[in-house]
Amino acid sequence: MKRTGIRIPLVLWSLAVLYPIIWMFIGSFKSNGEIYANPWGLPKSLNLENFTTAWTEYNIDTSVFNSLIVTVVGALLTLVLAIPTAYAIERLRFRGSQLLFTLYVSAMMIPMVLGWIPLFFLLARFNMLDNIYGLAIVYAVSQLPFTIFVLTSFMSTIPKSLEESAAIDGLSPYGVLLKIITPLSMSGIITVTIMNAIQFWNEYFMALIFLQTEENYTLALAIDFISSEAQYTNAWGTLFASLTIAIVPVIILYAIFQQRIAKGMTEGAIKG
Amino acid sequence: MVQSKKQKYLFLAFCLIPTFVMFSIFTLYPLFSGLYYSFFEWSGASQDKEFIGFSNYIQLINDEIIPMTIVHDYFLVAAKVLGIMVLALFFAVALTQLKIKEAPFYRIVFFFPNIMSVVVIGILWTFIYNPSLGLINSGLQFIGLEDWARPWLGSEKWALPSLVIPSVWAGIGLFMLMLMGGIANVSKSYYEAAEIDGANEWQQFWKVTLPLVWPQIKISILYIVITTLNGSFIIVQIMTGGGPNNSTHVMGSYLYEQAFVQYNFGYGAAIGVMILILSLVTVLILQFFMRRERVEY
Repeated sequence: MKRTGIRIPLVLWSLAVLYPIIWMFIGSFKSNGEIYANPWGLPKSLNLENFTTAWTEYNIDTSVFNSLIVTVVGALLTLVLAIPTAYAIERLRFRGSQLLFTLYVSAMMIPMVLGWIPLFFLLARFNMLDNIYGLAIVYAVSQLPFTIFVLTSFMSTIPKSLEESAAIDGLSPYGVLLKIITPLSMSGIITVTIMNAIQFWNEYFMALIFLQTEENYTLALAIDFISSEAQYTNAWGTLFASLTIAIVPVIILYAIFQQRIAKGMTEGAIKG
Repeated sequence: MVQSKKQKYLFLAFCLIPTFVMFSIFTLYPLFSGLYYSFFEWSGASQDKEFIGFSNYIQLINDEIIPMTIVHDYFLVAAKVLGIMVLALFFAVALTQLKIKEAPFYRIVFFFPNIMSVVVIGILWTFIYNPSLGLINSGLQFIGLEDWARPWLGSEKWALPSLVIPSVWAGIGLFMLMLMGGIANVSKSYYEAAEIDGANEWQQFWKVTLPLVWPQIKISILYIVITTLNGSFIIVQIMTGGGPNNSTHVMGSYLYEQAFVQYNFGYGAAIGVMILILSLVTVLILQFFMRRERVEY
């Protein structure tokens, strides 16, 4: 009986979380007239006009494509860089391994905004400003500390005997890394990659600073652009539709990998 | 197979050097040159970079916007720590200890905002606060409290507090999960012993759960403080851009404005150094005050 009292705040918070998101979905099917007439109401019909407008007139299609490239290239590059380093730090005894680990991990606590000013000029010098591949590189490196942190803890659970017997069978250290360690840490690699991908898909501020022309905009910049346009054009339905486009892939990923994401996020968050 | 030393070093280099080079170029070098830039007056064109010593820092001390941005940042830190920790702790305890059947549903729902983009969250909440179309004002009107309706983000008094709600909304899930992990590690025997001693649920929370979950609470608080000082400007930039009349400017959004809008890159870098120092000092102070003997029963 007394559990009802506990359930009230739980139900209320669920509503507080879900209602704005559902409201956004509903809004993406409403015409401007309907949004103005009744912000809380349902649309009269399920028209997809807002989505087609966002997709064609506001070039969401290009930004979705750009975001995909940045996300995939960034996530892959993070792995290529982080897996060997995590393996070396965790398994190869060398002088300074602990120091290197501390260096990477403490970078997670430093305000990167200080580095963004020089990074802006550095990218300009490398001709990588306003370039989605340049952005993908910056993203990949920005997630290195976190990725190395998570992967070393995953790799520490792999039994050492497996590597040793592989080495006795004549596998080179490169082979051990590629054929033994990488497959055995796959569950950690998948977890951290999903989290990095969500991060890259969602990122806004570095994209704002490092990208300039509209055809290079990522999705985050495109919806920010539509949002500021909407102040003048009142294209609220289109804005709702583009917000929906931005979160649907994340919802799908979350639905599939819900447990992994939650676990990885909390493990990754325990730092400092 | 015996590896030669040379092969071993080659492999080590293969593993470590590419990553370290990339990290140095795109993380270490920018951080250190950020420090270096803070001693220059620089509008971005390479010819006019002029060494001016500590002038940017002197300007920083005399800039009357700076104290406001610091106050705003710490206001957000305090409000977020309080809001997130109280709610997250409550939800974590409710979902682990009270045997609620639908707990997994709440766990999934509460975490969901944590995977949403801060742009989506910011724009969505800007809309919720919209004076004429938003959920809040129209909702207040609906329940007959139209006197309470106001242009939330357009009001110097209400804009900053209005930013706290989306931040808490977006943050709770993660910390709830972290605390749930901590609570799951507390052995059931402590609760059984407390129950035998006649402690009610409320006393069990204060005497058993809270002390034993303290490490997770401490990490959560530090994490909120760091991420807020280092990243609160993102939600500010999206929802208010620092306005109205600087009433929501935080250190990071002011840095962005100085560097990337006004092209005072040297001054922006000096603000960045200030953010770095303030967040390091804050973390050290907090760690000192939150030092507490590890509880063993």
